[in-house]
Amino acid sequence: MGRAMLRIQGGKVYDPVHGLDGVRRDVCVADGRIVADVSGGRVIDATGMVVLPGGVDIHTHIAGAAINFAREMIPEDHRRAVALTRTPVRRAGIGGVTPSTFATGYMYASMGWTTIFEAAVPVLTAKHTHEELRDTPIVDKGCYLLIGNNEIVMDLLEAEDYERARHVVAWLVWAAKAYGLKAVNPGGVAAWKWGQNVKGLFEPVPGYQRVTPARLIAALAQIAEDLSLPHPLHLHCNQLGLPGNFATTLETMKLLEGRRAHLAHLQFHAYGGEDWSTFRSEAPRIAEYLNDHPNLTADAGAILFGDTVTVTADGPWQYLLYQLTGHKWGNMDIENETGCGIVPYAYRERSLVNAVQWAVGLELLLLVQDPWRIFLTTDHPNGGAFWRYPEIIRLLMDADYRRERLKALSPKVLKRIVLPDIDREYTLSEIVIITSAGPARALGLSQKGHLGVGADADIVIYDEHPDPGRMFGRPRYVIKAGEVVVEDGEIQKTVSGREFIVRPAYDETIEAFLQPLFEHYYTVSFANYPVELERIHSAEVYSWEEAVRQ
Amino acid sequence: MGGKPACTLGEVKNRADLIIYWGGNPAECHPRHFTKYTLTPKGKFTPNGRKDRTMVLVDIRETPSARAADIFLQIRPGRDFEVLTALRAIIKDQPVDPERVAQTGLTLDQLRDLAGRMKRARFGVMFFGMGLTMTRGKYMNSSAILTLAAELNAFTKFIAMPMRGHGNVTGADTVLRWTTGYPFGVCFNRGYPRYNPGEFSTIDLLVRGDVDAVLVVGADPAATMPQPAIEHLKRVPTIVLDPKVSTTMRIARVGILTAATGISAGGTVYRMDEVPIPLRPALRSPYPTDEEVLRRIRQTLAARTDE
Ligand SMILES: [Zn+2]
Repeated sequence: MGRAMLRIQGGKVYDPVHGLDGVRRDVCVADGRIVADVSGGRVIDATGMVVLPGGVDIHTHIAGAAINFAREMIPEDHRRAVALTRTPVRRAGIGGVTPSTFATGYMYASMGWTTIFEAAVPVLTAKHTHEELRDTPIVDKGCYLLIGNNEIVMDLLEAEDYERARHVVAWLVWAAKAYGLKAVNPGGVAAWKWGQNVKGLFEPVPGYQRVTPARLIAALAQIAEDLSLPHPLHLHCNQLGLPGNFATTLETMKLLEGRRAHLAHLQFHAYGGEDWSTFRSEAPRIAEYLNDHPNLTADAGAILFGDTVTVTADGPWQYLLYQLTGHKWGNMDIENETGCGIVPYAYRERSLVNAVQWAVGLELLLLVQDPWRIFLTTDHPNGGAFWRYPEIIRLLMDADYRRERLKALSPKVLKRIVLPDIDREYTLSEIVIITSAGPARALGLSQKGHLGVGADADIVIYDEHPDPGRMFGRPRYVIKAGEVVVEDGEIQKTVSGREFIVRPAYDETIEAFLQPLFEHYYTVSFANYPVELERIHSAEVYSWEEAVRQ
Repeated sequence: MGGKPACTLGEVKNRADLIIYWGGNPAECHPRHFTKYTLTPKGKFTPNGRKDRTMVLVDIRETPSARAADIFLQIRPGRDFEVLTALRAIIKDQPVDPERVAQTGLTLDQLRDLAGRMKRARFGVMFFGMGLTMTRGKYMNSSAILTLAAELNAFTKFIAMPMRGHGNVTGADTVLRWTTGYPFGVCFNRGYPRYNPGEFSTIDLLVRGDVDAVLVVGADPAATMPQPAIEHLKRVPTIVLDPKVSTTMRIARVGILTAATGISAGGTVYRMDEVPIPLRPALRSPYPTDEEVLRRIRQTLAARTDE
C-alpha cells in the first residue's frame, strides 16, 4: 500500500480494551493500521497530550430522505449556521443542526469521531441514503434498516410464518445494503398509515389479529440473532416522549430477556408521571434494570438546551409533537415500510419538561454502572446536534460544573429528578468507553474502538486540558486510517471513508415469493428496488460466514 | 402553523379512497398518474381499484381531467385561497361568510359536501398543481392547502403533495439540499452556500446581468425565460449540454451534444415523491454523458489552476 508510516510519541495512551489508562507509550501506524513498531515515517510529538481511539457514533441521523427533508424545513437555522468556506482540501457547506453532507464529515472528524452509523433507512429510499453517505467524507459509516413496521414482515408474522419472515428480513438487509436492523415504535408507525398508533405492547396492531408490538419486538430480536448480525436489534421503543413511558420501556426490556438488544436514545423512554404537569424522571428504575441485564446495551439520546429539529420514523409521535408545539410539521410515509416526521423544536431550560429531559439523559449516563453498555449520543439532531458532544462530556466529568448548571433550574424541577444527588464523575477512560470502545463492541466492529495491533489507525490526540469541554472541542490531531486529517482542529486532508454492509444468509427462492407481492404493493419495479452494490464506494461487506465467526 | 404531510405514491395506491387534484391537469400533464398511482390501480387496501376511490377535480376550467373525476368543482380564477380558507373553517365547524363563498364560484353546499367527504375519507390526498402554485397569492395558496391537509389529520389520514415538474427537477433539488442545505437559488460567490430566491435564482441573475458565464445542463431556458434573460445568455459565454440541438444551444457560444439520460446514459431520477429510481440505458450513444463532459471540463480547469 505504501501509505505513510507514523509514530505518535510521548503521549498518554487511553485504550480501555487493552487496560491502558493514561500510560505513556508510542503508538505506531503503517498502511492504515496500528502496528507494533515502525522505522522511519512521520513522528508526532504528543508530549502533554492524550491519545485515544477515534469516536464511534452508534446512533445519528446524517444521511437520507428524512434528514434531507429536515434540511428543507429549517432554512432559518441554515442562515445562522456556521458556514464552511471552500479551501483546497475541503468543500463548501453549512453546519447548524442539519449540516450538509460534506460538512457532516468534516465536523465529526474535527471533533475526533471517525465512525458513524445512520440509524434509520427504508429500503425504498436507501439509494438516496447511500448517495449521501458517499458524500460524507473522512468517516467510516454504516446504516440500519427500518424493519419494525414492514408490512410484508408483519403479514408473515400474522400468518405465523417466522421462517419466511427471517428470510425476507435477511433479503431486505442486503437489498438496503444495511449493517443492522432497526425497529421504531414497532407496529405504531404502521398504524399511523391510518392516522392511529398502538396502545401498549400487547394489543394487536390495527389491521392485525396476532401481531402486537410485543410479538414484533421478540420476533425481530430473534431474527437478528438467528441471522448472526454483528449488531443486535436496534430498538426505538414504543411510547417515545410520553409521560409515564418508563413502564413500557421496562416491559420491553423484560420481553427481551434471553436475547440481545440495543435500546436507542433511552432518555426519551425513561419518564414518569401521568401527564405533562406531573412529568418526572424514572431514570433510576430504567438504569437499575439495565445494570442487572447484560444482554442489553443502550445509547443515551441526551438533550441539550437550544434550538434543534426532531427527525424520526415515529410518525404518530411527531404528529403529537406538532400539536404540542403548533409550529411546523413534515410527514413522509413510505409505502409498506415505515414513516417519517419532522418537527423543529427548542429545548428550554425554563420548561419543566425540557429540564427534566436534560437531567434524565445525564442521570442514565451516570447511573448505568457499566460504561460498556451505555453510549454517548444525542440522537442527533433530536436531542441536540452531534457537534455539542463535548458539552455533555464536561457535564459527565465535572460534578461541580453540573451543580452549577442545576442552579439555573427551577426548584420544581429539582423535586422530579435525581441528578442533584449524583456525585459520580466520569474518568477519561470511561469517556473513551462510552464514545468509542463500547459502541464499537456493541456494533461488532473488532477493528474499531481500540489501539491494539491490527486495529484501524483511527486515532485522536488532544492537548490535555482541565476543562474536558474545551479539550474535546478541538483535537490537536485526528488520524483516520493512518492519515493525518485534522491538525489544530482544522481539516488538513479529505479522505473518503468506507461503508460497512452485512450480507446475511437467505434462501434465494425468497425472491420468487417476494416479487408478486411486491408488484401488488409497491410502485417501483422489483428489479429497481435493491440498492446496487456498485452504487457504494469502498464497501466493506461482512458476509454471513464472517459475521458468525465474530 | 404549517405542515407538509406527504407520502410516497404507493401509499396512495394502497390506501387512498379520496383523491383530489387541485389546479392541475394530470390527464394531460402526468398521464401515468391515474393508472400507476392514484385512480385505477388495485392496491393492498383498495382491492377494487377505481371503484374504491372518489376523485374530485378543483380547477378554473373544465380540462380533460374532469372526465376522469366523480366531482368537478369549477372555481373562479384567483379564488383558491378563499375556497381553502372556507374549507378550513367548515371542517372545524366554524362559521363562514356566505357572501365570500359566493365570490368563489362555488356554493356553500358544494363546500360542505367536499368538507364532509374529506372528514369521512379513510385516507385522503390532495395533489396540487401549477394552477394553484403559480397564480395570484402563490405562496399563500400552497401554505393554505398544506395547512388544510395538516388540520384534516385531526379527523382522518390526509396528505397534500405538489405535482412537480418534468425531468429530474426533484433530483436536482434533492442533491443540492444535501450538498448545500438549500434546494435551488444557491450562490457560492463568498465561498460557501447562500440561498435567496429572487436574488440568486437563475432568471433574476440573468435579467440583472449579474453573471458573466453560464453553463446549462439538461434545460432549455431560452425556450421559456423572459426576453431580457435570453438577451443576457446571448451576451455572455453560454455553454449548453443537451442531447438535442435546443433553442438555448442555438444561441449559445458552445454546444455539446450528450447522451440522452434514461435512454443512452444511466443515472438516478428522483420521482415527485423523492423515491430514487435507477435509470438503465437501453441504447448506446456516440456522444459522451453529461457527467463525463462535466468531469472533463473540471479536470481541465483543475490542471490549469495547478500550472
Ligand atoms: Zn434516532
